Amino acid sequence: MGCVSNLPLMAVLISPGTPGRFVLQAIAVTFVGIALLLLFILGRRGLRRRYFHRRDLRVFALRKDWEGILSGSVPPESWRRHSLDSEIVEEMLFEGMEAAHAAGQWEEAVRLLNVLRTSGLLSTRMHEASEYGGWRKRRALVALGRTRAPEVVPVLAGALEDEDPETRVAAVRGLGGTGLAAAATEMMDRVVGRGLSTPGLTLQNSLLHCCQGRPEILQPYLRQAQGGAREMLSRVLGELATPDMEEDILLLAADPLPEVRASAARALGVARPVAALELLGELVKDKEWFVRLRAVVALGSIEDARVIPILIESLCDENRYVRLRAAGALAHMGPRLEQIVEKVIETRDRFALHAIISEIERAGGIAHLFGAISDPNRREEATATLMQALKAGQEQMRTAARGELRPVTALKPGKAGS
Amino acid sequence: MLHRFISISNITLFVYYLASNLIYLALLIIALFASLRHRRRLASIRLERMRTSPLAPPITVLAPAHNEEKSIIESARGLLALDYPELELIIINDGSADRTLEVLREHFQLRPADVLYLPELHSAPVRGVYMSQNEPRLLVVDKEPGGNKADAVNAGLNAATKPYVCVVDADSILERDSLLRIMVPILADPRRVVAAGGIVRVLNGSRVRDGQLTEVRLPKGWLEVLQVIEYLRAFLIGREAWAAGNMLNIISGAFGIFRRDLVRAVGGYRTNAIGEDFDLVTRMHRYLLEQKMDYRISFVPDPVCWTEVPSDLRSLARQRARWHKGLLDVLWPNRDMLFRRTYGRLGSIGLPYMWIFELLAPVVELVGYTTIILAAVLGVLSREFFIQFLIYGYAFGTMISIGAVMQEEITYKRYNDWRDVIRLVLYCFFEHFPYRQMYLVWRLQGFWQYFRKDFVWRPMKRIGFHGADTGK
Repeated sequence: MGCVSNLPLMAVLISPGTPGRFVLQAIAVTFVGIALLLLFILGRRGLRRRYFHRRDLRVFALRKDWEGILSGSVPPESWRRHSLDSEIVEEMLFEGMEAAHAAGQWEEAVRLLNVLRTSGLLSTRMHEASEYGGWRKRRALVALGRTRAPEVVPVLAGALEDEDPETRVAAVRGLGGTGLAAAATEMMDRVVGRGLSTPGLTLQNSLLHCCQGRPEILQPYLRQAQGGAREMLSRVLGELATPDMEEDILLLAADPLPEVRASAARALGVARPVAALELLGELVKDKEWFVRLRAVVALGSIEDARVIPILIESLCDENRYVRLRAAGALAHMGPRLEQIVEKVIETRDRFALHAIISEIERAGGIAHLFGAISDPNRREEATATLMQALKAGQEQMRTAARGELRPVTALKPGKAGS
Repeated sequence: MLHRFISISNITLFVYYLASNLIYLALLIIALFASLRHRRRLASIRLERMRTSPLAPPITVLAPAHNEEKSIIESARGLLALDYPELELIIINDGSADRTLEVLREHFQLRPADVLYLPELHSAPVRGVYMSQNEPRLLVVDKEPGGNKADAVNAGLNAATKPYVCVVDADSILERDSLLRIMVPILADPRRVVAAGGIVRVLNGSRVRDGQLTEVRLPKGWLEVLQVIEYLRAFLIGREAWAAGNMLNIISGAFGIFRRDLVRAVGGYRTNAIGEDFDLVTRMHRYLLEQKMDYRISFVPDPVCWTEVPSDLRSLARQRARWHKGLLDVLWPNRDMLFRRTYGRLGSIGLPYMWIFELLAPVVELVGYTTIILAAVLGVLSREFFIQFLIYGYAFGTMISIGAVMQEEITYKRYNDWRDVIRLVLYCFFEHFPYRQMYLVWRLQGFWQYFRKDFVWRPMKRIGFHGADTGK
């Protein structure tokens, strides 16, 4: 897509009485526009260069005084007077806190947070988040999230009520950044009770971050939640479930919403409660393919010989992805491969056999398999024979598959991420 | 009678030209606001959290490759090194006559895999599917030559297993966080956003190591620098602004992400399309509008894809003629979308713009040249006004180009070297002659080839990534 400049068209007005004056004015305005643009580009470059040079010098100076800043021997007023210094110290504190959290150095994180508190940086950000609007408010909300301070939670939660959807998203991100259970509670209160409307994935990510340490706080909300909120919370639970949540997972597995059942399958794979195998055995027969897929993936993560017959059954599933994931799971069953293949052959299902052989090959287990099922002297021959049989059957399978395929129809939006 | 004809055509052309300039100015202003909004939105996003999120939707990257032996390994390594939690890379070897498959086989220890491949979307026959023994995320589909990229992408779509597919050119380089960035609008609104395009920029002149861009520099050749300006104008102004109104109908074939179920629903890429990327997005719009779905097709200006552009006139002429053929090839079959309520803003604003100011522009320009000559011959050419208008047109075109450079400066600022910026700005003054006239000829050639049904793919001369730092 290019700009239509069309130079020759500039010459089109040739008849008498053309608006020559208008064109002259247009030329003048355009040249002024060009000059302003050039001035802007060059001026901005120059200013930015100066700014970064100054910033580098200040970073160097502040780093030299860093211990003094942290201990308070360099009074906060001395650096808070200058907005650039303030900005640099805040960023250095945030980075330090993030590194301390990542390394599990909680004392250091608390020490840095105290500097934020005593220097007044934290209250400035809280003021910005409460009193300002627009991008400045959003920036403050995200910065507050980085502090992980419990006192910022009410301010961030207040912004969840904002009329502007982008501010609500920033508040959700800020709350997620704190990683605090109290922040999760605030979000879930609004999701379940007041129908908070923000993009699902952002909210899920934030909840995931905040509930990591205490996933049980999800349970009471999940019991109350309906519709989309229930789907969303169950998805989070699916990542964080623990064995003692068995009762709730059981309820989710019987939920009328397929997305919730799929999350239950995921939760079973993560938490592996006592009844996991039994429930997953039910879910692999679900009427929705993505629930069956989730159940198969969860079964694949459980190292137990009892999952093998269930997965072999899923190898004959009508859905291609379910078959492939079942085959993928079976292919990683190591020493049991030969029994698995024998059992798959017993199903007399071409799709199943094909899927399992492909996946075993992908997993690099084909040599092991043939070594086990045939005489070492005849291994090559056995391999060739089996592969030849498979290849010969492939064309028939393709034809059969074409016949079995339903016409491709679009899924309604929203299912793609399932 | 002839005088009257010249007079009418002149007035028509004057209005056309004025409208074209004003529209582009409006697009520049819209794009400026859109990119500033995007920048501010990005400030509240922590990409590193997305990078590790188990909730990020999986993506299949499809990279069709035809005779890419020089750059395929670096390209594949670059794609596999992309930051994204769950990624599958499918390289489709589209019947390469060189050693593309062999170099892949040697480097990634490929072995034939007898996987189930269902040809749901039309493509030339697949000869084999290979899996890597040292890179489990890689799958190589080797197929008969299909003669075009669409055919290869369809084969990749048949093999893809993830809910989103990202189509890239195997000879392009994606920045490491490109996938995370292009997913931003989708993650923000996965129910509505069905596709997103990223910005494509000129690789020539920059330095590349291990499939990653290490230094961004302006190319040395004049032809390539002019293309840099064109790309900035097209992406940072055109696409940004059209996407702001949900009327974006081109997602570059070099870098775009789509919901896989939707691409399949519209039948995948049209294998006989000349501009397959434009064709796909237009059919997606049509399908979604006919289904009365609430959707968005977004453009994200910061996930950068770097691509090699033609460095010689012959290759550039072929590319531009093909683009124009592609435009006609898509607009003509979709002419029923024009001014129909079902197709909303796209049918009443987006597509008419494409018809009037993109497709027909070379014809109008040609008529303009003709009337100047005629007027001069008949002695009715007002020399004074001619010069005034010439200056105005020159200045306005330059202003728009500098506006695109300014957009780049305000927002993404990839050219760090002062000399590069000064050269870029200087070239904005020199692109009107003779480059524009050559561009007119190439586009007219595109028309001519289309009407002669000359749809033969003519390859572009490439130097590969190894030569990317030479600027040649």
